[in-house]
Amino acid sequence: MDTLEELAQIARTRPEKLKERKGKGIKLIGYIGRFVPEELIHASGALPYLMCRGGEPEPPDAVIPYMLRFMSPYDRAQIGYHLLGMDPVTPILDLIVVQCSDCHESRLADLFEYFKLPTVRLGVPPDWEKSLSREYYQKRLTWLREKLETLTGNKISDEKLKQSTESFNKIRDLLSKINLLRKKPPPPIGGYDFIRLNHYSFYCDPEVLSGKLNDLYERLQKDKSPFPGEAPRILLAGHVVGVGDYVVPKLIEDSGGVIAAEFLDEGMRQCAWNVKTDGDLMANLGETYYSARTPPSIFQPAWEERIESMKKLIKDFNIDGVIWYELSFEEIYDLECSIISKVMDEMNMPFLKLESSYEYSREAVGPLTTRVESFIESVKQRRS
Amino acid sequence: MAQDVYEDFLRLTGFEEEEMPEYLPQWRKASEKLGLTEDDIKFATKERLPTYFAVELEGIRKLLGCFVKETIDLTKASEYKERGVKIVYGILPAIIHYYYALKLTAPDKVFVSFPDIFLTMVMNGFFHKLAPYLEEAEKAGIPYGCRHCALNKTRYAARRLRIIPSPDINWVWGFICDEGPKTDEFIRIYHDPEWKTYITRLPHDQPLYTVEDEVTDRVEYLASQMRDGFESVQKEIGIKVPEEKIKEVIGIWHRYADKLAELALLMAADPQPLGAVSGRLFWEPLFTPFNTGIEAMEKALDITIKEVKQRVAGKEGILPEGAPKLLIYSIHPSVPWVAKIFEENGVGIPLSEFFILTKKQLMPPTFENPYMAAAEGWLRTSAMVNPGYQAEQMCEKIETHKFDGMVFGLMDFDRWLGSPHRLLARMVEEKTKLPVFYIEGDNWDDRDYSQEALRTRIESICEIMKMRKA
Repeated sequence: MDTLEELAQIARTRPEKLKERKGKGIKLIGYIGRFVPEELIHASGALPYLMCRGGEPEPPDAVIPYMLRFMSPYDRAQIGYHLLGMDPVTPILDLIVVQCSDCHESRLADLFEYFKLPTVRLGVPPDWEKSLSREYYQKRLTWLREKLETLTGNKISDEKLKQSTESFNKIRDLLSKINLLRKKPPPPIGGYDFIRLNHYSFYCDPEVLSGKLNDLYERLQKDKSPFPGEAPRILLAGHVVGVGDYVVPKLIEDSGGVIAAEFLDEGMRQCAWNVKTDGDLMANLGETYYSARTPPSIFQPAWEERIESMKKLIKDFNIDGVIWYELSFEEIYDLECSIISKVMDEMNMPFLKLESSYEYSREAVGPLTTRVESFIESVKQRRS
Repeated sequence: MAQDVYEDFLRLTGFEEEEMPEYLPQWRKASEKLGLTEDDIKFATKERLPTYFAVELEGIRKLLGCFVKETIDLTKASEYKERGVKIVYGILPAIIHYYYALKLTAPDKVFVSFPDIFLTMVMNGFFHKLAPYLEEAEKAGIPYGCRHCALNKTRYAARRLRIIPSPDINWVWGFICDEGPKTDEFIRIYHDPEWKTYITRLPHDQPLYTVEDEVTDRVEYLASQMRDGFESVQKEIGIKVPEEKIKEVIGIWHRYADKLAELALLMAADPQPLGAVSGRLFWEPLFTPFNTGIEAMEKALDITIKEVKQRVAGKEGILPEGAPKLLIYSIHPSVPWVAKIFEENGVGIPLSEFFILTKKQLMPPTFENPYMAAAEGWLRTSAMVNPGYQAEQMCEKIETHKFDGMVFGLMDFDRWLGSPHRLLARMVEEKTKLPVFYIEGDNWDDRDYSQEALRTRIESICEIMKMRKA
């Protein structure tokens, strides 16, 4: 898949490019979480950089001298690479924006600050149905806008924000079109590639990216699917597949399944929801990012609405089985998993819970492979 | 005779003879509902309570009795509900002024409780029998292995086991952790559709070292959240609380807090006059409402202060004079042996940082408005704010009570309160230059971290402290 490889190459060399641009006076803004609008950073003239790495055990472990070890390995990893000296980007960032929607993220922000990294927090109240909370998030967005303006010395005019929003809407549209191609059996692109495509999309300039995504869309429409028609169609659900955390998605597809859809809170562009470009643009950002999208697991209430969203995905994408990918000690997802498992059972939908602490040594992958293979096989048998 | 077991227990926990006819049958009934056998009651009376609590003091016996009365009352919640009393729950930690204000306004029309805290404290602290509750939750959707909080499991199990009824409203607080409030969403969807909740949250988005009670926007937001929550609760149960009642509660809270400050100073005396576990339960009403009221607790506190004063005056201590003393983040009577091991090894941990108050906390509120006053009070509390401000407060407490060091940990189930301890330890050590220690463990649930598992670590800490002080 040439376009995907090209995008992978762009993503791999992103740190060098960022450094070059920094040398030219452009500010670099790292950000963590789906509630930090990329559009806003982009409109300030700065370069956004999503911090979303995962998949290796050492970075989360590097944080243990400063944090309880029963915290999410994903959140721990976001500073763990830096502590290990394995993160080329964090040291050159001019600002790190951390969304604070849960304890794991907020404790991560504590550590960024403790290590004197330039950090600001975007408070995201989880009680999202209340007007008080909506106003709070909206105010914090305005505050972030002012921070960005001060840092970059650029005013974020409505015109700039509109252009930026349109640019990201285009990317979401293209990703959405590619995603919808996966409804047909067998899908032209699986989850392993689609997740990576999402990841790469965060590390490419929007102008370049939209051209590449367009090319890819055109090609996928024509190409033959790499998956056999009888491959069980899997919904991969959970919190996040971090950048680099590809063992499980790949394993699912290597075992004869195909990930036909994802239901992940982080690390994916929420491409089904565009931001309106007329009227009050900041209010539009707040509305889309906070209220319109499927609520993340941490929001309250959220789980019933999330179940309905999953049921819709299962129906629309003709799903045969659900794999819940959970990271160790993510207590909220663990509770949600019990609820979803019960609902899937009631629907007679095969369901598998996988838990990871990013330990993918041979000893760990062996049993994991067996579980995934058995699951895929059982789903296949049900279908036949 | 069977009756003696129950009577003995009530006598040990400070019940007067004239109270027996009323409380003995209630206690028997409550014990049965809680799953306590005669052997369990006997174990508490003969071993558990005398080992860990200073039952030779009248004040401590009365204190234990307050918890027993509250637990009995909790087991009657279903009866209250059948009689039309409105059931209002909450979760820890919360601002309890509103619950007490409800009680002051309509004492017979509303039942308030944080059920899990009493069950955990009493079932494990007094009887060491919380495990069946935890296992009940673990087999039904809150799995073992993810370090879920024992309080949340207990609340869920208490509902599953029909010890408590569905609430008319459960005002859940997410000012600290996420799991507490989300557990209530879980209970409603997974088990009990009648488990009605109202949620109040506050994002953890303040930079390190921000003095949060002085950030007016934050105080205002928190006050608005509280007002919003309290109005919803009142609407739900049809009881209107005048603002004066909240002010009255704030006054009572401060009066009680002042007495606790006096007890804290006494407990930090040299030699340490009272074991850590004995005194610790007095701090519970600051964060947990008692449906049976705070008055009996206050009387027990008055008696204890008087008794401890006598011990201090007589240089009577549970440890030798000059023994090292450490401030511990929090000691929970639900796992009382932690403090005991320290004390057996010649080191005192008389006070829990979480509960003792700074000078600022004891100052009257800046704001007249009761919601603003309550919000300000909350944001003056070390455990509720960013770790920079928290560490500053810890250092003040160490200084005030002249501690020789500090112990963190024992909170590994809590992604908010427990997660920054290693960082806090560094901050406190950097500022005070005193030794700090970290113990991985669980203050509510001692199935994983048994005495045998932690003894060596605690003994090492004690040796280090004694060598430093020698």
